[in-house]
Amino acid sequence: MTNHPRAQGESRSILAGPFDAEAETTAGVRIEPGKNYGFFTDTTLCIGCKACEVACKEWNALPSEEGKLSGHSYDNTGGLGAHTWRHVAFVEKSGPEGVRAPEQQPYQSSWLMMSDVCKHCSPAPCLEACPTGALFRTEFDTVVVQQDICNGCGYCVPACPFGVIDVSADDGKAHKCTLCYDRLRAGQEPACAKACPTDSIQFGEVEELEQRASDRVDGLHRQGVENAYLYGARGSPGATGGLERLNAFFLLTDDPEVYNLPLRPSRPASRAAPSLAAGLATAAGLMAAAAFLFTRGHDHE
Amino acid sequence: MSNRRKQDIPTYYDLPALNTPHWDWRVSAYIFAAGLGGGTQLLAALGELLPRREGQSISRKGRYISLLSALVSAPLLIWDLKTPRRWYNMMRIFRITSPMSFGSYLLTGFGAFSAMTALGQWTADRGSRLGDRLARLAQWPATLFGAGMSCYTGALLSATSNPLWAAAPRLLAARLAASALATGAATLSLGETLSGRRRNSSRLEGIAALATSASLFLSLWSSRLYRRKGVHEAMEEQDIAAREKAALLVGHGVPLACYALARLSGRRSDTLSIIASLSTIAGGYMTRDAMLKGGLRSSRRPRDYFYIAGRGRD
Ligand code: SF4
Repeated sequence: MTNHPRAQGESRSILAGPFDAEAETTAGVRIEPGKNYGFFTDTTLCIGCKACEVACKEWNALPSEEGKLSGHSYDNTGGLGAHTWRHVAFVEKSGPEGVRAPEQQPYQSSWLMMSDVCKHCSPAPCLEACPTGALFRTEFDTVVVQQDICNGCGYCVPACPFGVIDVSADDGKAHKCTLCYDRLRAGQEPACAKACPTDSIQFGEVEELEQRASDRVDGLHRQGVENAYLYGARGSPGATGGLERLNAFFLLTDDPEVYNLPLRPSRPASRAAPSLAAGLATAAGLMAAAAFLFTRGHDHE
Repeated sequence: MSNRRKQDIPTYYDLPALNTPHWDWRVSAYIFAAGLGGGTQLLAALGELLPRREGQSISRKGRYISLLSALVSAPLLIWDLKTPRRWYNMMRIFRITSPMSFGSYLLTGFGAFSAMTALGQWTADRGSRLGDRLARLAQWPATLFGAGMSCYTGALLSATSNPLWAAAPRLLAARLAASALATGAATLSLGETLSGRRRNSSRLEGIAALATSASLFLSLWSSRLYRRKGVHEAMEEQDIAAREKAALLVGHGVPLACYALARLSGRRSDTLSIIASLSTIAGGYMTRDAMLKGGLRSSRRPRDYFYIAGRGRD
């Protein structure tokens, strides 16, 4: 590869080579297989710069969106999908009748921004739905689609309780955030977290992040932000209905639905057995009735 | 505390909170063919209960039609994949939490045992005693797999986050099972009418009438449940409601009217029987298509999802 003219004379990095465990420097995390990693996204720190969206697209070489203005505040992305693995939501709240209230609450409570991502659920509904084993749980306790195995059945799409995973029309495979599996293996922090200039996105071991997050909630409560709460951490909204915890969890300051999240999502797989049992019972009942009709028919002959 | 009136639940610019699968008529057709095949295989087993020649006529047709529907449903399922050339990856693992996974094995087993019953039948028809034994032996597992095929697609749809499909997991599978037996009985009844076995046809009509009534009852029951769970509005959107009404009319109204008419007139009418059968079969497909399309619509309605996921009464 030839260098850009402006980079002539700057062709050599001052670093000897890539760091071994770069995440130790950038996020204070040593990445080791067998531990659980995730994101803590603190929406009170988000400034809506979309650096995470861009970094994700660039690192993962995702196709760009069609350039359209949505009219939904600064959000022209709309939501997560096959080609969008980080999505920054913008909510502008005004006072009654669209007039800005003269008294504002502290900490961005009238303009909410939130960087959404795959929750790397535990257990993960998409993974439990996948019939090919393309979706698997990695050694970092994250959920990843193996592109060379997925056959595009699309069953993970309605399974996901958060509208995250989708099948791409371009290649007919399911895609979603990998929590930068390739970077983790190289000891690097995921691209979005590294790019986030305010540390709204924090990467680390889930247990440690949960501790940090609950301290943050306490701190915010002390500062008067009473509506701060965690979404997706163990025992909080989002980690409900058989979803024990979301490895990527959030600090929110309004109803989850405001950020397009359900209050109490549930684990779809738990519905399979009762459904099947009821179907089989109905078939058996009707068979018994049919058998009765048949035998009665020829007894009378 | 978390309960809220549906219209008071906030949304994010009314954008969908869920992604929508790409499934189209091929999935409806698959669910239909799976149910019909399962239903005919169940009835093929019941042929044993009838006097030999009459029973064999039903079993024979049941076995052939089951094999045929297995041969139709497998390509439909593969054709629906976005990367169909990798269909065999379905056989890479077995996953009990995924109806898509265990369903693939149900279909495989159903196809294999249906092939055995059909092969046994075919040789038995040419005088082979061994063939007859094979058919009767394979009938047992084929019947079990047939029962699974008749209704596992209910588990397939309800083990999702889709508001409509997830709202009534039990009723959904029960409706599919009832409709599978109705369409199976109607298909066999049609075959018996066309081959002049009127008594058999009437017997099968009795079963079809029973299963169709059960299916109607369960449909009305699930409509009520959808309303109570606050997910009914997707089914009330104009085009979906039209499909649902048409499915009720064609799949339930017309055949039940035909059976009632024949009863009242006190005479068997081949014409009425044929109309009832064809109508049941067509209605079976339409019912499933309305279920599928209703669900796809429902996934685009964030309030329906938010309501069922934590804001509703239950
Ligand atoms: S958020 Fe959706 S895509 Fe991500 S792990 Fe959970 S179910 Fe899978």
